[in-house]
Amino acid sequence: MIVAEWKPIPELLASLKGHKNVLLVGCATCVAECAAGGEREVLTLAPVLKMGLKDQGQEVNIITRTLERQCEPEFVEELAEIAPQVDAIMSLACGIGMQLVAERFIDLPLYPGVNTTSLAIREQPGLWTARCAACGDCMLGETFGLCPVARCAKSLMNGPCGGTRKDGKCEVDENTECIWRLIVERAEAKGRLEDLVKVRPSKNWSNSGHGGPKRMLREDLR
Amino acid sequence: MKTPVQTKLQQAIAAGRFALTLEIGPPQSPNPEPLRKKAEIIKGLADGYNVTDNQTAVVRMSSIAASKIILEMGLEPVMQMVCRDRNRIAMQSDLLGASALGLKNVLALSGDHQKASAAGKLKGHPGAKNVYDIDSIQLIATIKGLRDEAKQEGGDAIAEPAPFFIGAAWTPLGTPRNFRVLRLAKKIAAGADFIQTQAVYDVPAFAAQVAKARDMGLTDKAAILAGIIVPRSAGMLSYMDRQVPGVEVPAELIARMKQAKDAKAEGIKVTVELIQAVRAIPGVKGVHLQAIEAEELLPEIVKAAGLSPQDR
Amino acid sequence: MAAAKPDSNFSPEIVALYCRQCLDAEERPQEGARPAKGFNARLVMLPCSGKVEAYQMLRILEQGADGVLLVGCPENACRFLVGSRRAEKRLTHAGQLLDLVNMGAGRLALKRAADLTTADILALAGQLAERVKTLGPNPMKGDSL
Ligand code: SF4
Ligand code: SF4
Repeated sequence: MIVAEWKPIPELLASLKGHKNVLLVGCATCVAECAAGGEREVLTLAPVLKMGLKDQGQEVNIITRTLERQCEPEFVEELAEIAPQVDAIMSLACGIGMQLVAERFIDLPLYPGVNTTSLAIREQPGLWTARCAACGDCMLGETFGLCPVARCAKSLMNGPCGGTRKDGKCEVDENTECIWRLIVERAEAKGRLEDLVKVRPSKNWSNSGHGGPKRMLREDLR
Repeated sequence: MKTPVQTKLQQAIAAGRFALTLEIGPPQSPNPEPLRKKAEIIKGLADGYNVTDNQTAVVRMSSIAASKIILEMGLEPVMQMVCRDRNRIAMQSDLLGASALGLKNVLALSGDHQKASAAGKLKGHPGAKNVYDIDSIQLIATIKGLRDEAKQEGGDAIAEPAPFFIGAAWTPLGTPRNFRVLRLAKKIAAGADFIQTQAVYDVPAFAAQVAKARDMGLTDKAAILAGIIVPRSAGMLSYMDRQVPGVEVPAELIARMKQAKDAKAEGIKVTVELIQAVRAIPGVKGVHLQAIEAEELLPEIVKAAGLSPQDR
Repeated sequence: MAAAKPDSNFSPEIVALYCRQCLDAEERPQEGARPAKGFNARLVMLPCSGKVEAYQMLRILEQGADGVLLVGCPENACRFLVGSRRAEKRLTHAGQLLDLVNMGAGRLALKRAADLTTADILALAGQLAERVKTLGPNPMKGDSL
């Protein structure tokens, strides 16, 4: 899923300065799964924003909505009725959903309520960890299904750096596994350590954002 | 095709002399004087001097500029290059520039993550965007391409080959231990000519890893220089044992440093013994010696270890 | 600038959310407003304290109540096993948010108890009322949704 997290409350309060009627809009898909922008989070944030702004001497009316999917125009259309009643929109969807809302309601300022951070999995209750970086040149077939692009702090492609901690965690974070240690262990368990010995040449990053904004065209579907 | 390369380090190795490299960190300053002062202390001792590339992700004078400055003083630099800050375009451009300036030894590294820059007292740049377009092994292959095929990574030609003596780092006792020799093999297959290792204190464990490398024929293809860091106290050793990845310090050694009346003198003695011990391991062709924040000790240690130029 | 001393001379409104499993077997469940000495309470019965969401507590405060008391079963006696522990985590989360907007996490309280009477619950609400007095009246008072 696409993972996002709330922006710091002071930042959210600052962005709403001067607004009287705000539409706080969530999305019931990925950001609901990662507890950042689903209905529950919309309902939680609304009173917090109201109280925070009141503390700063500002009265604000907050209207809450949660769309099925904020990244689909049909669902965004549901906001058309309320939009005339508000002077700003704060979205708790990922950056994709936010942009669709911004585009549809071009006259209203759109404030991001969350930071979109990663493509991740819910590893445990309350813990989400990155799995993919949308690199555009998937190498999972070479690494026993573990992604070194998203899960190695240095996106190394030829094995672990010298910084792997003694307990097998990553140099950069004592709570994150060194993914290369896991790749090596998985290879060993399958008796295929040799597969990792070949030098993996430099990657072609041009099919990701590095090649310019991605545009995927399928004539057969047009 | 292999483009011939001549550097003092390469010649020492080729001649079968026990090689010695030292390290010199560029200053956090635009002023070359502190660098020159450090260089003056250790000048004439070693075959090569590693010049670090924004080590621990802290901004310092560039390793190319600092390398050139010490080269002018008669020290032969080993220019370090990390993959953190530059993409393959910038790195190749800098390599051509370095070559034009007369820099011929280069050490390819992954580099410390930018988060490390804020670990100590410094603010550092933990919010920096890293690059890691290519990794250290791909960088080695890229440098080899510039040298042996006069070809850029992307395939275009360069007008003439860039003669580099290519180095790589090795953490023989790193986790996962049984991949570390294979990773060394990858670096050598990619084109590494010489290898500098993480600090060695546990000589038997190190020797066992070198023996595996030897069995794979790796020690004939590249020269391994064992890393030695002068111990200064029992506290430093036990810290390294606990905290520094890939460093193992035998308990006896920590105890010995603890009991020593004069820790400095004992540290020098230990260093000399370590150098002699790694020198006896078949396949070890030299040492990479560091005295962290105590460069002034190096002349004495080099002499005591029998590594003065006239003794090697 | 020295912060003005909060006005403690008021009669706090405490909303008490209590788990029905905490009641004494003999006690008839009670709900609704209960004036008490020095404060006003409103009792709301829940099937399990673990059902309470952070936003419910926040909304009660946003609507002007001075404090929210959550009464759950003792940690090991929760009929739904993790209900009261979950309630505690949510209350902590709501409290952190309240601190961020200068409302004060002190307006929320969790008590764990069993075999309670309505009077017991009111006594617990009274303890929270005393604490809330040091925080002053809810600045949101008078606002309506
Ligand atoms: S290799 Fe690339 S596409 Fe595949 S999982 Fe990793 S980042 Fe995603
Ligand atoms: S410790 Fe492992 S995961 Fe972390 S940067 Fe090094 S190789 Fe990557």
